[in-house]
Amino acid sequence: MKLFESLTKIPRRIIFLTIAFAVAIPLIIPIGIPVNVMPQSKKLFDAVEDLTSDSKPVLISCDFDPQSLPELYPMLLAVMRQCFSKNVKVILMALWPQGTGMVEMGLEELSQEFEKEYGVDYVFLGYKFGVAAVLLGMGENIRGVFPVDYYGNPLDSLRLMGSTRNYNDISLIVTLSTGDPGWRQWLLFAQSRYGARLGVGVTAVSAADVYPYVETDQVTGLLAGMKGASEYETLVQRKGYAEGIFRASQGMDAQSLGHLLIMIFIILGNVGYFYTRRKK
Amino acid sequence: MNPSTDPWVWLAAFLTLCIFSFLYKDNILYRFAEHLFVGVSAGYLVALTWHNQIYPNLIVPLFIEGNILYIIPLAFALCYFTRFVPRFNHMIRLPIAFLLGWGSGVAIPAFFQRDILRQTQGTLLVREAFSKWDSGLWAIVILIGVISTLIYFFFSRERKGVIKPVANLGVIFIMLGFGASFGYTVMARISLLIGRLQFLLGEWLGIIQ
Repeated sequence: MKLFESLTKIPRRIIFLTIAFAVAIPLIIPIGIPVNVMPQSKKLFDAVEDLTSDSKPVLISCDFDPQSLPELYPMLLAVMRQCFSKNVKVILMALWPQGTGMVEMGLEELSQEFEKEYGVDYVFLGYKFGVAAVLLGMGENIRGVFPVDYYGNPLDSLRLMGSTRNYNDISLIVTLSTGDPGWRQWLLFAQSRYGARLGVGVTAVSAADVYPYVETDQVTGLLAGMKGASEYETLVQRKGYAEGIFRASQGMDAQSLGHLLIMIFIILGNVGYFYTRRKK
Repeated sequence: MNPSTDPWVWLAAFLTLCIFSFLYKDNILYRFAEHLFVGVSAGYLVALTWHNQIYPNLIVPLFIEGNILYIIPLAFALCYFTRFVPRFNHMIRLPIAFLLGWGSGVAIPAFFQRDILRQTQGTLLVREAFSKWDSGLWAIVILIGVISTLIYFFFSRERKGVIKPVANLGVIFIMLGFGASFGYTVMARISLLIGRLQFLLGEWLGIIQ
């Protein structure tokens, strides 16, 4: 049967086009598939939720570039919305050079929602090269690694940094990581060596690698890809910290349809393959 | 439909479409966008490293504050450039030897702690794991998975007798791991497409919010 043989030879451009439609249509006409929150996402949310305005600051490290923006940028916004809503102080930094652009973009977007004062409510340390030296140095004295912030202000001139010397003065580190340097190094140097509490948000590609560390409580909560971001957005929305349409949640219908289509293609390809093999 | 009036958004949309054109076939527009990205990223990195790293961490303490100790890292850094001078290029070994020695000393104990000690602890069947029936069940599955996978990679004995079925069970766990990784990879790639389509349909064309 030619039909079964043709299943193994579907032109790749047809596949690309079909997936493009399957992803685009639910973005234009949303289906509204509900988002189920996984325990590891809830764990990270609860870790931030337990903090108060008197708590030590949260350190968010944007270890990603624009290529991972659809997965990790919504996480950055959601975590910062939660922190800002609860008046939890935030320190931002980046182990990737392009991460600084992501932070600035996020701060600009959130400045319309929250009236937060730089140096009092949040600080942006910027980017540093040399991950091991940076993370180990921060474990001893953050000023040694970052004598000035991203904008050139001495750290001593920033009120928030007055009582923040090293990891002992940080309640939770959240790394939003797309590869190396990223969550592995934070786990290696900040968590294993200095005992810092670490939450991780990663692209879906890396998610399977993080699970063993969540099981052993080396990692306090995990956000896995766009799904993890949408779960966090849902939790933030349920608590009333923000309202409106969120990017990751908006994309989940498209994600589900895209997956469904790929599964169909895999099944069709296998049916065609086994039929032609049996014929031979 | 409410297309953007921002020329930067139009430029970004044009570059996105240039990259997408590769799905049809390799072409000059794709290569233009690719080279532009590499060039801009490299330039951005150089500027950022100077302003965020070299100036505040080396120039200021050494030349403005007069801290003479900073000559040592400067000398080590300059050794890297001896690579371009054949007569002195052996000096590049100094900073590399320092980095390797320091890096190994710092990383090995931490690796051991992160990947061996804590992960081994995680497979132990402690009493707390059985406080709920499901966590107890998963603890047993993890233990069986770890042991059978380790036995699969045990090459010192011929795979027969009791080792064979356990190693075969290990293969199943490994395949499950590969399947999970592949599923997550598909999810990541679809997410990237969603991100770009959100930009094209939202910020550029104004079809979606």
